[in-house]
Amino acid sequence: MKKLVKYLFVFVALVVVLTSCTGGASYKALIITGQNNHNWKSSSPILKEVLLQTGLFTAEIAKSPEKGGDMNSFNPDFSKYNVVIIDYNGESWSEKTKAAFVEYVKNGGGVVSYHAGDNSFPDWKEYNEMIGLGGWGGRSQKDGPYVYFKGDKMVIDTAAGSGGAHGKRHEFEIKARNVEHPILKGLPQRWIHGTDELYAKLRGPGKNMEIIATAYSDTAKGGTGRSEPILMVINYGKGRIFHTTLGHPDKEGGPALQCVGFITTFQRGAEWAASGKVTQKIPYDFPTAAGSSYRLDYKELTLEEDLNKISQYDITKSTKYFTDLQTRIRKESKTADDFAKFEKAMVKVLENSSASDDGKKLLLRELSWMGSDISVSAIKELAKNPNLKDEAEFALARLSPSK
Amino acid sequence: MLDKSTRRDFLRQSTAIGTGAIILPQLIPSTALGMGGKVAPSDRIVMGCIGTGSQGTGNLREFLKNHLDRVQFIAICDVDAKHAANAKGVIDTANKNSDCKAYGDYREFLEKEKLDGVSIALPDHWHGLIYTAAANKKLDVYGEKPLARTIHDGQAIVSAAKRNNIVWQTGSWQRSRENFRRGAELAVNGRVGKVTRVEVGLPNGNRGVGTPPIKEVPAELNWEMWLGPALKVPYRGISHWDWRWILDYSGGQLTDWSGHHIDIAQWGIGMERSGPIEIAGEAVYPTDGIYNAPVEYDFLCKYANGIEMRVANEARIEKGAGATWYGDKGWIHVNRGNTLTASDPKILEEVIADNEIHLYKSTDHIGNFLDCVKSRGETVAPVDIAHRSISVGLLGEIAMSTGQKIQWDPVKQEIIGNPKASRLLTRPYRQPWNVPTI
Repeated sequence: MKKLVKYLFVFVALVVVLTSCTGGASYKALIITGQNNHNWKSSSPILKEVLLQTGLFTAEIAKSPEKGGDMNSFNPDFSKYNVVIIDYNGESWSEKTKAAFVEYVKNGGGVVSYHAGDNSFPDWKEYNEMIGLGGWGGRSQKDGPYVYFKGDKMVIDTAAGSGGAHGKRHEFEIKARNVEHPILKGLPQRWIHGTDELYAKLRGPGKNMEIIATAYSDTAKGGTGRSEPILMVINYGKGRIFHTTLGHPDKEGGPALQCVGFITTFQRGAEWAASGKVTQKIPYDFPTAAGSSYRLDYKELTLEEDLNKISQYDITKSTKYFTDLQTRIRKESKTADDFAKFEKAMVKVLENSSASDDGKKLLLRELSWMGSDISVSAIKELAKNPNLKDEAEFALARLSPSK
Repeated sequence: MLDKSTRRDFLRQSTAIGTGAIILPQLIPSTALGMGGKVAPSDRIVMGCIGTGSQGTGNLREFLKNHLDRVQFIAICDVDAKHAANAKGVIDTANKNSDCKAYGDYREFLEKEKLDGVSIALPDHWHGLIYTAAANKKLDVYGEKPLARTIHDGQAIVSAAKRNNIVWQTGSWQRSRENFRRGAELAVNGRVGKVTRVEVGLPNGNRGVGTPPIKEVPAELNWEMWLGPALKVPYRGISHWDWRWILDYSGGQLTDWSGHHIDIAQWGIGMERSGPIEIAGEAVYPTDGIYNAPVEYDFLCKYANGIEMRVANEARIEKGAGATWYGDKGWIHVNRGNTLTASDPKILEEVIADNEIHLYKSTDHIGNFLDCVKSRGETVAPVDIAHRSISVGLLGEIAMSTGQKIQWDPVKQEIIGNPKASRLLTRPYRQPWNVPTI
């Protein structure tokens, strides 16, 4: 037995070494899809992309046969992976595949149930224990109680009725219920989620489950009038399951997947499911209680991309990119070098003759407090432009008060 | 008849004014000054108004409603001709004539009108210039909170008021309400034990209106003069009242309410003429649109005596809006709606002995101002205290907007070791306006 443990240890060490050779990624993720009443063809590549962005994962997509196909042919080797993402809501898997999945999780494999992942397999007992709560597919009181929040208290409601509902898609506030959980640690306690379905009336066994975030399902939007579970963590055997109800995909992906709140909690939840810990930084553009935050191409903008947007800035359209820049400066500037990095990039926009005056006006305001000699000559140049004179003088008055 | 300044000097000399940590009640009954009976019309305090929007007109009505026997308004000034006409109507009705003069430029108003005092209610970005101009005209001022948009402007206002020996009442009227005064007095006298922390809940911010289209400036509004020292922007239909959501004119609900609950909170820890030494926190800013004042805010101030004061929008504070002093023996909470509660109701029945601290007792905020105009005594909300109240909000704004922990010297009124954050202590003015000097 001791020998076996030793061999196992060597094997694990080897695996770690080998995987770390493949570009530094620590974990292997498998996204399961191929059947879904949702646009899995758009969602699965996006999920793969956002996992790769973390630098922590390699990711593969495993497609099941199409509906009516031979499900016996679908047997991914789960044991090769650290986390399995369920972007699947379709026909039952073969008994063999189901058994292999249960084994995988019992032995410590991670799972992420994404959006309609909690619609699938209404009759598979072990799966429902893994996801804690589910909806649709004929789920009712026979499958377990409704679970939701009333004030600060979790309610276990055994009332009869169908499981699974959602009102109109809209932006809604998500409330963290356990800010100390690794997935949520460092995130704001409340934030506005991008336009999405707000799943409600979920019911299930709810064993070994913790609801770590909820959202109020507003009756005005066709909701239930109660705080519904949105993010859950479940233990099954040695396995960890992260359950997110978020991320309804349109044909092209769309706002629910573009939401930085979705992307970040998905990335963090996947790491937690794979390892039990979360090492990722909180992105500067995480949404706040003041408003939602979207990444139109599912990627965090680089500083250069952000400034490029500001250089084309038209105040009638948006102040978003400027607000983003301010947030970055606030969160990422502690030393003079940090400030100088931002300042140099901002000066480039000031010196760019094709950049918009509206964009330059905003940058001049920001530079007035965080700038230095680096920007003074560029600002003096802009003071000659009648359209920018006031803002340039404003900045100079703060930067070189002896002027 | 004595000329105005001589009359004031006479009254000042004849009134003993206590100063120091213990502020004694300074309500001098008008009988003591030989004004027990009816006041002759010629002895009434002559006043005007600058800024006659909702707050300015509200204040004016308060003056007229309860104090017409000792005050007379004769002129008003506003950059909005409709507001001006409305306020003139209010005054003319009270005066039963049509003599009230209306101005659009405060410089002309101050130059031409012979006044004793002025009631001022303007967007914060105008306070530095107009408060100092009124003080330099040696007018007594009833001025709206917050005292100033920047700490530098506040210092300039305090020094102008002191230099000119004017009577100043800030519109921090909660000081003249018994629940607030009594709560602060119980706290400062240790009735909850040694106060270790204070929580201050202020209103939540405003998520915004996006960016409304540029509009034609209404004929009655002098937009250039409304902007004054602030950066020039096109008119988008946002001016009256809603200026408070835009950082060029205000710091949002945080600064708007610093002159209320923060003011009361510092009163109850004996810090109303000092300030914190360290300030740090976070705000949530609108992600889009022209409103850019924090929607949510939460910062912690540490005082030299070890007390910590947390200031946040009310949604984040356990007891919601108001001020709560927590000591090692309990807590006291005060809020609007005459709220005065404590961890143990017996605390509220405590008697404050003669040798303890008695906070200034005023029961009529505007009446207290008029009393002091006559007595030359200090008001319940004097200019230097108002400055220290808004300084807390402004330091919080600086800490949150820069993301930096601010070290503050409340004696020198300087940010220590942070030249970038220090730049935010003042705000450059657009020409031809110049930042008032201290």
